[in-house]
Amino acid sequence: MWSYLARRAIQAIFTLLIITVLCFILTRLSADPMAQYATSQRMSAEDREALRERLGLNDPLPVQYLKWLGLALQGELGNSFFSKQPVSLMISQRLPNTLILMVTAEIITVSLALVLGILSAVKQYSTVDNIITALSFIGFSMPIFFIALGLMLIFSVQFKEWGLPYLPTGADIWDKKDPVELLKHLILPVSALVIILTAGYARYIRTSMLEVLGLDYVRTARAKGLTSRAVLFKHALRNAALPLVTIIGLDIPFLIGGALVTEQVYAWPGMGRLFWEYAQRGDFPVVLGILLIISTAVVIFTIITDVVYTFVDPRIRLG
Amino acid sequence: MKRNLSVLLSLLVLASIVLAACAPAATEAPATEAPSATEAPVATEAPAACQPAGTEPIAFPDGGKTVTGAWDQEPDSIVPYFTQMSYAIWITQLTLAGLGEWDDQGNFVPELAVEVPTADNGGVSADGLTITWKLKDCLFWSDGEPLTSADVVFTWEAIMDPGNAPTSRTGYDKIASIETPDDTTVVITFSELYPPWQVLFTQGPNNAGAILPKHMLEGQTGLESNDFIHQPTVGSGPWVITEWIPGDYMTLLPNPNFHGGRPVLDQVQVRFVPDPATAQAALQTGDVDWFPNFSEAEISTIGALEPDVHLIVVPGADFEHYFFNLGTTTGVDGRGASDVDGFCPFKDVRVRKALTLGINREAIVETLLEGKTTVPSSQWPNSSWTNSSLTPDAYDPDAAGALLDEAGYALGSDGIRAGDCNGENVKLSFNFETTTSQIRIDIATIVQSDLAKIGVEFKPIHTPAGTFFGSYADGGVMPTGKYDMAGYTTGFYPDPYTDNYKCESVPSAANPSGTNWYLNCDPALSDLMEEVNASADPAVRKEKLDEAQKYIFDNYYVIMMYARANVYGHTDRFVPGPFGFFSNLNWNSEVWDVK
Repeated sequence: MWSYLARRAIQAIFTLLIITVLCFILTRLSADPMAQYATSQRMSAEDREALRERLGLNDPLPVQYLKWLGLALQGELGNSFFSKQPVSLMISQRLPNTLILMVTAEIITVSLALVLGILSAVKQYSTVDNIITALSFIGFSMPIFFIALGLMLIFSVQFKEWGLPYLPTGADIWDKKDPVELLKHLILPVSALVIILTAGYARYIRTSMLEVLGLDYVRTARAKGLTSRAVLFKHALRNAALPLVTIIGLDIPFLIGGALVTEQVYAWPGMGRLFWEYAQRGDFPVVLGILLIISTAVVIFTIITDVVYTFVDPRIRLG
Repeated sequence: MKRNLSVLLSLLVLASIVLAACAPAATEAPATEAPSATEAPVATEAPAACQPAGTEPIAFPDGGKTVTGAWDQEPDSIVPYFTQMSYAIWITQLTLAGLGEWDDQGNFVPELAVEVPTADNGGVSADGLTITWKLKDCLFWSDGEPLTSADVVFTWEAIMDPGNAPTSRTGYDKIASIETPDDTTVVITFSELYPPWQVLFTQGPNNAGAILPKHMLEGQTGLESNDFIHQPTVGSGPWVITEWIPGDYMTLLPNPNFHGGRPVLDQVQVRFVPDPATAQAALQTGDVDWFPNFSEAEISTIGALEPDVHLIVVPGADFEHYFFNLGTTTGVDGRGASDVDGFCPFKDVRVRKALTLGINREAIVETLLEGKTTVPSSQWPNSSWTNSSLTPDAYDPDAAGALLDEAGYALGSDGIRAGDCNGENVKLSFNFETTTSQIRIDIATIVQSDLAKIGVEFKPIHTPAGTFFGSYADGGVMPTGKYDMAGYTTGFYPDPYTDNYKCESVPSAANPSGTNWYLNCDPALSDLMEEVNASADPAVRKEKLDEAQKYIFDNYYVIMMYARANVYGHTDRFVPGPFGFFSNLNWNSEVWDVK
């Protein structure tokens, strides 16, 4: 087990290095930080040259990368080109907001998906299953911005127009410490995320349950007279949940990254917006800082998932 | 007796200890003491009028008047010498003051100064090299410290200090010295003629020369990452920022010492809302009171929200223009050689004119832009610098076709014209480069079909702005000249000078920062633009600029598509003051009110 973990850790370091190189190249090629200043009447050619030099953009690309890596290895993510603030500070200001939104959405999504997935599987091809399947496909194929804006137009704008109690658009200013306010402001963005995410999970659980329900040991369990509830939850679900562990394990790190579109639409001050706003401007210290944190989390959670697997599934041994 | 004395002494020691312990508490709350100071007998020593009204922002009273703006971007820092974002200019207009500013009519007016320096009032010397500003009496920062000519000198020194890294020193580097004969007089001497001096130390649409507080920043370097530059805690504008939650919102409270008096409102908040669709919904629910940055394509959507939401469209000095790659690798008379040769047929003015006549610009303005803006005749639209004798050419596809025939481009069997250009048979088929914004995609599609009608194949390519405007070294489309025809928005204001027509600004490997992206070296035009900056007299400059505008117009060097408009939406309860393109909404926030 320990030698396995050591081996994985070494692999992880190389994986992360490769990821940072790729991310650096992609970020650096997708937008030039100097493009911001290109048409500014306030800057002369000399001003532009001085700024390029100061941002280190005149260095060859490998040098720019190595400079960034050197800082990162010392635990420094550097300063943003534009706000000049430490990237770590900018991330720490946004991360809690993102976690509140994403963890809430993930918990509701998984719970709801379990209920829908199991119901679908047990009542395969029934009306209930057909409705759930149809809704899943609609949710799965709808673009998130459409759902997010649609919910806002109905439950904020139209409800207000109809004189009903309405939900905030998210663009208002509210007290983050007030739990009632927090709840009110979470309803729409969390609903939008849940609609999109549940569909996928529910389909996984349905398929996985169907596969297990058809196996011999489930028939044996039924044959020995267990109640259908016991068969379902004690025998079938425990095995059917195994692939779910992998999916959730892989999804958790992405919760840190936030929800780009949902955060944009509901003006939620989270990581997704931070990433998008600075990526557009080619601010690679910020973009790479965020990507490094997410990819580190992915690598760590993959290892954790593997370890958790050995507990959930005794057939698997690490070695 | 001796014992009494020792008792007395020890009492004195005790008392002094107690008093010393109390002292810091007294300095912590100067706000409450300051106003009473004006009533104290000390007032006889200094003129009573010259006392600050307070030392802290005025707290928000119960039931006070407040408005919330929604902005689609967040300023990356506030003091605009260190950032180029318009959002920083807007916040600066709310929190800091300059010597002058532009009003709702586009006039240059004093802000901290008593009047605008002119030759008539002795503010501008005969040689144009010395500008004298006179500050208003009794100016104070929001913390109660006096605001004097020393702050202006400090601001200049901070910009020029090699220990600081402002994004631009343009203009400030032309100042030889600043003298301050007294607290309210600022005498600026330039080392060479600098006609755009009005953009220095002043707040305008493209410049934000706020005066910085010497008492807060003196002796510090590395100001670009200084906390105060990121978020000033002391100001001279109508408001002081008291709270800024990154990515979320900003709260501003009245500056007790604002030179224009106490603002009508008790609080202004700015919420950062990246999606205009959300801002629109929030205006409808009243979650926010205004949004300053709708696109021209949203004019009808916002207009349909009356009477709850009001639409304001302000025609601007920015313009969307299409232009030709006129690069020559050989240069002209040894000037302005570029890395690439432009598309050969564009060298013929008849072809350039035909393409201008062949695009139905009026129809684009009427349909896509709801008729809320205009097709301008020159690159100085909606400003006092416009050459009003010019009229844009009307859509005339027949005349366009005739011109192309005359230039030798005959219609081929595939419907595309071709003809001889410098000994080679060239098809009138070329790439058009622009960015990915929706309105540019829509307009390019219309242009494509218009030009197809006159036998010209126009092939749009949409590149993200980060690459389109990228640097020469990064292979940016504009500076490297990798286009046949291209289009984007720019504007030359508040000062009209631009070196985008100078031969010496043509970008190339030897001159990667050049801004003449038309790659157009026309020595006559280049020299004419130089002359615009050769005089300090605005009348002489206008005459030269009129000539330059006519020259560009007659040579069909650019196709002026439309003057850009600023599109605002605001709730019925919010009552902004009068404003124009040069001032923008934020210039007179002290008069804002609510219904």
